[in-house]
Amino acid sequence: MPAERAGYTVTMFVVDIQPSMAKLRTHDPEGNELLHEITNLQWGLQFVKLKIQEMIFNGRKTDQCGVIVFGSRKTKNILHTKMKEGYEDVLEYIPIGQPNAGTLAKLDALKPSNNSGDPLDALIVAIETQDAYLEKKKTWTRKIVGIDFDDEEYPYAEEDKSNFKAENEEFYKRMVDGLEEEGAILGTCALALRETVRPDIKITKSTLMATTLRLGDNSTRPEEAMEINIKTSKCTAQSRSKSWKKFAERRKKKGADGCEKKVVFTQLKMRTEYYVDRREHNSDDEGGDVKMEDVEKEGVKKEDVKEDIKKEPEPEPEDDDDNDDEEGRPTNKIDPGLEQVDKEELIRGFKYGTTYVPCPDGQFERLPTKKGIDICGFFLAKNFRRELCMGEIQYVWGDPTQPEQQVAISSIAQAMYEKNAMAIARWVTKDGMDAKMGVLAPCIAEGVDCLLWAQMPFADDVRKYTFASLDNLVSKKGEVLKEHAYIPTAAQLDAMDAFVDAMDLMDAGEKDEEGNRGPWFDTRLSYNPAVHRIKQAQFHAAVVSDLSKNPLPPPHPDLLKYFEPPRRVLKRAREAIEGAKTELKVKQVPKKVARARKDGHVHARDEDDDTSILDAKPTRTQSQTKVSASPAGKKGKEKAVADDSATEDDSDDDILAKTAAAKAKKPMGTPPPPKKNHNPLPTPARSLSPEFDPGRAPGRIVGNTRPLDDFKANIARGDMVSKAVEDLGAVITEIVMRPFANRRTAELMECMDTLRDTCLKEDEVEAWNLFMQNLRRNCTSEPGNSQFWSEVQKAGRKISLISEEEAEEHGGTSQFSESQAQTFLS
Amino acid sequence: MPPYDDWNKIDDEEDDELQDASHLETKKDVILFCIDCSESMLELREDPVYENVQTCHAYAALDAAMQIQKKKVITGPSDAVGILLFNTTRKAENSNRNQGSEIKKNCYVYQPIEPLSAPKIQELIQLLDAFREDTEELRKQFPPMTDGKRVAMGDVFTSCNWVLRDGAPKTASKRVFLITDEDDPHSGPGAKQLVNSARTTLIDLTQSGVTVEPFFISIPEKPFDVSKFYSSVLLPNNLVDEDDIDQDDPSVLPESISISRIEDLLAQMRFHEVPKRAQFSIPFQLAEGFTIGVKGYGLVTEQKKGAYKYFVDLGERMEVATSRTVYIDEDRQDEVDKTKMVYGMSVGAAADDDDDHSGGTRVVEPGQRPFYTAEDIRSFRTLGLEPGLKLLGFKDRSELLFEDNIKHSLFIYPDELTYAGSKRTFSALLKSMVKKKKMGLVLSLTRRNASPTFCALLPQEEKQDEAGWTDPAGFHLIPLPFADDIRAAPVETGCRASDEVKDAARAWIDKLSVKNGAYPPDSYPNPALAYHNAQLQATAFGEEFDVDSFEDLTAPKVDMIHKRAGKLIEAWKVAVANDETALASAPVVEKKGTKRKAEGDTSEAEVRSRYADDTLKKACVSLALTVEQLKNFLRSKSLATSGKKADLLERVEEYLAS
Repeated sequence: MPAERAGYTVTMFVVDIQPSMAKLRTHDPEGNELLHEITNLQWGLQFVKLKIQEMIFNGRKTDQCGVIVFGSRKTKNILHTKMKEGYEDVLEYIPIGQPNAGTLAKLDALKPSNNSGDPLDALIVAIETQDAYLEKKKTWTRKIVGIDFDDEEYPYAEEDKSNFKAENEEFYKRMVDGLEEEGAILGTCALALRETVRPDIKITKSTLMATTLRLGDNSTRPEEAMEINIKTSKCTAQSRSKSWKKFAERRKKKGADGCEKKVVFTQLKMRTEYYVDRREHNSDDEGGDVKMEDVEKEGVKKEDVKEDIKKEPEPEPEDDDDNDDEEGRPTNKIDPGLEQVDKEELIRGFKYGTTYVPCPDGQFERLPTKKGIDICGFFLAKNFRRELCMGEIQYVWGDPTQPEQQVAISSIAQAMYEKNAMAIARWVTKDGMDAKMGVLAPCIAEGVDCLLWAQMPFADDVRKYTFASLDNLVSKKGEVLKEHAYIPTAAQLDAMDAFVDAMDLMDAGEKDEEGNRGPWFDTRLSYNPAVHRIKQAQFHAAVVSDLSKNPLPPPHPDLLKYFEPPRRVLKRAREAIEGAKTELKVKQVPKKVARARKDGHVHARDEDDDTSILDAKPTRTQSQTKVSASPAGKKGKEKAVADDSATEDDSDDDILAKTAAAKAKKPMGTPPPPKKNHNPLPTPARSLSPEFDPGRAPGRIVGNTRPLDDFKANIARGDMVSKAVEDLGAVITEIVMRPFANRRTAELMECMDTLRDTCLKEDEVEAWNLFMQNLRRNCTSEPGNSQFWSEVQKAGRKISLISEEEAEEHGGTSQFSESQAQTFLS
Repeated sequence: MPPYDDWNKIDDEEDDELQDASHLETKKDVILFCIDCSESMLELREDPVYENVQTCHAYAALDAAMQIQKKKVITGPSDAVGILLFNTTRKAENSNRNQGSEIKKNCYVYQPIEPLSAPKIQELIQLLDAFREDTEELRKQFPPMTDGKRVAMGDVFTSCNWVLRDGAPKTASKRVFLITDEDDPHSGPGAKQLVNSARTTLIDLTQSGVTVEPFFISIPEKPFDVSKFYSSVLLPNNLVDEDDIDQDDPSVLPESISISRIEDLLAQMRFHEVPKRAQFSIPFQLAEGFTIGVKGYGLVTEQKKGAYKYFVDLGERMEVATSRTVYIDEDRQDEVDKTKMVYGMSVGAAADDDDDHSGGTRVVEPGQRPFYTAEDIRSFRTLGLEPGLKLLGFKDRSELLFEDNIKHSLFIYPDELTYAGSKRTFSALLKSMVKKKKMGLVLSLTRRNASPTFCALLPQEEKQDEAGWTDPAGFHLIPLPFADDIRAAPVETGCRASDEVKDAARAWIDKLSVKNGAYPPDSYPNPALAYHNAQLQATAFGEEFDVDSFEDLTAPKVDMIHKRAGKLIEAWKVAVANDETALASAPVVEKKGTKRKAEGDTSEAEVRSRYADDTLKKACVSLALTVEQLKNFLRSKSLATSGKKADLLERVEEYLAS
């Protein structure tokens, strides 16, 4: 029988549910207090569940289990059934089968009884049940795991792996011996639990794939050509975590028996729908494009449809730092002009620009190729460019069953090794498959010589971007610059040399037998933290029913061991680090506000451009970044905002710049905090603390999220009217000038109505008029928002400037005449 | 379900790990070729490559534009391209075209900015063909301004601006490829004003998000001196890339001005064909409190064939169908909103006896939370790290093994705009590491949704090659495999060659080595991709695809191999066959039983000789090959060994016949 053949195992769990199992535990064996009290049974079952979860995780049909409990009130087991007596209080709780979530749920339902039972009886039942089940499957491995708490302090998980075909007697003896001596096969449950989260590496030996290594043309000049039978296997292969399944809650209807409501989560299925736009193309300048953009946004994209389809539903809540951006993706909204079509109606084809190229097979005829690896030539390894390696590495072996082929590969590997050469080769994995180019490098191992393959790029795969030279700076006058802020000085270079020396890891590893330290970090010990952490989380979620009460424990320390430089290196390097720091004087640049652009506000942005992209004028001085109050209402009741008014700027076209700058105060790299749906009632104290209310720029009492609500709340309280008016004006302008403002047009118009009304009644006429002038200037200049302005124009006179006549009615004054107000919008 | 739906089932989270640059490629690219059509550009000269052929700069420029269009139409089918000519007296026809009907005098829009299409490219090809027939064609089509008059460069930039404003989608990356051979367009009176206006209009252009990439043609008779005019006009375009113009540092020239010989024009343009886009911009922490800014670029990324799309036949035209992925509760056919989704593990195969927990659902008490939120999931993946690189220390360059590779590398370059002083620090680090032959070890999380990886940081010095291409200074970020990614070697022992055999192999390896050679990516265009694209183009142009004209440049040069090393390979083969270890039938192999081995050795020769004699099947019973022999032969060729003897024979024949 193969030693570590995966699967083909039936594991029997024998679980004690006698009264002693009801004892509550408040501390784990190391003495740490537990978050919640649990019973011995729950504690032990966690181990069982993790084990079962592993089986569910691997999803093998040949990895099965069953559960026998003893101390139960019911008696139902094959021996009892067969003999009609004996083996009392032993219950075959879960019959042998491939486990699923139901298995775990059933285990959760187990409660300690007030009965007693005989563990040995249960053991015999377990063996018997297993035996009966495996009658025809002689090669399967049998495992028995007992959960038993007879020992006062420490719970036990006794595990025995045994293939005890004819050795029942032996096994008994061993088992009993084991129990008496608390021997090697016993372990504490705590240890067992901890071990389940230790990152384990399954040694995977890849399958050998047969192919041929060729040199020359074997069909026309066979005597001069080479053909070696080889096997290839993976040397590195990216491991991935098991994917998460998506679920959503659904309310279960009341059961027929009137039982209480439970929450049901359903696993979701993916479905792809197809839509077509039957509308005629507009022939105006952007008509053809608009449609294309829709197509892109919906997720189908030119090069790789697959990539994008898969991308769309990614769980990336935080990735959408920019809320406008999030709204900008109409992933869940369907353009009303689109019509759903059946997959059957669709025809496959390619796009050649805007030209449609039909291709019903989904691919054109392939270039004929012949399976095998062809050597194209050799070159010296010192010229090898390591950074061009494209992917996973493969071994190339001489056929292990053919000594002559092994010798052939060995001679080539040795000769290449001696010459320090590599080969350029072309690999076709199957007849007709696309060829790959790569290099073969010799590998002289202890017992065998082989070659290693690395895929290298085609001409098409290499991007040649140009980058400014770091050393070679030329001034506009054509002079070569020797000194510049970009060029390190001699002192800086020295400081860096010292830093590099101090941070050397070559002697920072563990000591070997002779007491010499080796290099720190070994790929063979570096676990993929994400893969193991996700696995831990997946297991955890499967065995606990409430993550709020029973949150995921921290990751195993082994996962994080390479996350920090070794302590002794840091200690040694302290001085060098300080030296380099002082010498090189790197300073974080406060995020600059992009200079106004003329192509409108919907900038195409780099993915990395993750902070505010307001289109605003650059800040003029550093001190302005601290200013955040809008200047529009300078005449207002400034006492209320005394803190801000000291630095208030009178220039009125700077609103955007300052709010943007205020945003830029946030540390780099951290995304703006997610929007909260509920804003606490604004008070001056709160409004000045940006951490508290993310919807608002610092110093504002009206936020960008729900400006109107904030505004009304303030007005209702009657304090700081000027400030509220001023802020709402600033917020409106800000939103209007942002990308995707048109989505909030209705809301903004409503804001403006309210604002105007308030201004009229609260003697803020000047503030309104100033705001309107500002808004017009902003909307109509570049980058503007002419669309919004035309909405304002449509609204007409009632939203225009407040004229002298109107103001007078409410006891105010205005510098504008009625006719000026009439024509302002036209 | 048809098989082509399979790609829909690939897990989405994992995809993120595969993400690479695909999200960047969704951005459209617009190029406006802005070609000088002056007397000098149209002047007929000897073709630099072909003898007795006359050509002109304008032709070369248009030809390069056509080549770029042909490439772009495949790599970015939704990209748009236009061609604007200047210094020509040709005027726009009185059509209703929006673009180009109202641009400055002596500028002419030959092709308005439009998404690429087959007719558009064919139009250009026809023009070029016409020129080859009659070298006066371009002059006729686009009469140059005479008497040394030139249009003001300011007007050219303004025209570009207008054309792009009208024609380019707002979100696209917009570039102007300026091609001219005139290094001093405004030397006469009023030059200062014209220079000023050129500068101002160029700033306008830049501010509307357009990058100008100049390609200056320099020939011995007419060398190009940037300092005469352009260095005072051109802006450092790398800074435009950074969303800003650095007023503090006006002294440094743009990072890339291509001044080339006419025959290198296309090659130069190829370097700029794909707009440079950073994949990420993150902090790089060298030590606590010692952080610089870097940007990352994918310089090596597999270029795949375009995926097919689904079209709907609307009668008068074909329309691309948009696809949309939704998640549904299958029992109720309800679509579930992304925000309401929670994440957990598959609930496993449903057992028959289970009616409460039927497949796909999990029932809990009210108020319990059995699943994770999307936010939880992300934190598991990132282990709570924020995007960035973190230096762990330095190791000898030799510690980076050949086999420690798992995926392609990224390239990082300092970003002065996030941390002032990044460039000098980066530069100092680079120099120090090159000097000490060190590589860095870093912990890297490049994007918010990625997972942490350990990477080797390989320094690259700036180096110029003969073709004028410069290897930029920077670090290659090479992801290292995790312990989980390393597979054990399945073969631990094998027969080794004797020194004689090794020397025999060395003889032909020496003959087949390229002196000072390396792996040359540029020499190997992807044949499968080229074959696909050639067929795509032929179909789009309505032409027949000519299979015979297709050349696979990756195919080994067998004639050369035989010529140089044929005899040596033959000698080596004899040496291998006589190798003692092999003849002693290495005990290593014998684990699996001697019988198979022994027969295995003879079956190959025997089967082949029978095939040669054509007695594979006909041989009389006593001499017939055994099933075991046939199976051994097939097995050694990794073919199936199933079936009856007749099947085996057939398979052997098939193999030998191919």
